[in-house]
Amino acid sequence: MNKTYKKWMIAVFVMILAGSFGVWHVFTEKFTDTADLKSDYAVNVPDFINEFKTDINQANKKYAEKIIVVSGIVSEVKAAYTTVNIIMKESGGDAYIIFAFQQQHLAEARQLKEGDRIAIKGSCSGALYSEILETESISFKRCTVEK
Amino acid sequence: MKKTILSAALVLSTGLIFAQKKTTTSAIISFDATTSLDKLPKAENKTVIASLDTRTGKVAFEATVKNFAFSNPRIQEHFNNAGWMDSDQFPTAVFKGEITNLTAVNFAKDGTYSAVVKGELTMHGVTKPVVTTAAVTISGKTINAVADFNVKVADYGIEGPAIGAGKVSKDPKISVTAEF
Repeated sequence: MNKTYKKWMIAVFVMILAGSFGVWHVFTEKFTDTADLKSDYAVNVPDFINEFKTDINQANKKYAEKIIVVSGIVSEVKAAYTTVNIIMKESGGDAYIIFAFQQQHLAEARQLKEGDRIAIKGSCSGALYSEILETESISFKRCTVEK
Repeated sequence: MKKTILSAALVLSTGLIFAQKKTTTSAIISFDATTSLDKLPKAENKTVIASLDTRTGKVAFEATVKNFAFSNPRIQEHFNNAGWMDSDQFPTAVFKGEITNLTAVNFAKDGTYSAVVKGELTMHGVTKPVVTTAAVTISGKTINAVADFNVKVADYGIEGPAIGAGKVSKDPKISVTAEF
């Protein structure tokens, strides 16, 4: 086996190894803890809801899949089965923002009470106009209480 | 006058107490498209809006597609992109239906009842009929409903190489839990 052939074999082996590692990394990767992520936007409840009520499509394009810190007052702590969601509503209306938490942050969400003034960071999934509730509903996933 | 006001207040409060349309902002829908080759394609949406009218048996669900949360970022991206759910164009999945054997469910008595739910599921811009059985548990003023069914993704115009390669199920299991 001459030297050139050996070099090629080693090069191909390294490429296969690197490629395999890349594929393995992509498919075993988990989402970073939201608490460690830099936010794309910081908003308050009334202004945020108002953007969606003004133009839901435009707001969805702007905010979908962005990491956003939302500041406001807890309107409802919604416990459901093994999970808990936090809801912040617009003042004097029915439109709301609902936050679903990452598993490691559920305990801190359970500590919250109606009326608490807090900031929550999460990945915005955008809004829908609910025919059931006849109002806008803005959803978040992978949330954490912002410290 | 006082009697009229009192009577009106009594009627109003009675109506509220026995409100027939129940709603929740936090129903949970799980989506499991795992196969023996890939355990990653499964997600949960914990912010589903749902309603149940105990008088007519009408049920409805609305889910923001982007709020189905996967554990893996790449699978999350694939799920939402144009080749799959195309959530930019079809941001909402909706089910509208009714309990067809409503007399078999006694909402006023604690217990677990088997409810047949028939309706239409709209996702990816396509509407198809769905029939499933839900376990409805009454406990005091709380109504819990649980149902599982499978959907053929091809029926909704969702196809892709991962399905053909056996990495994503052709008929993922949808699990629904709602507490009213």
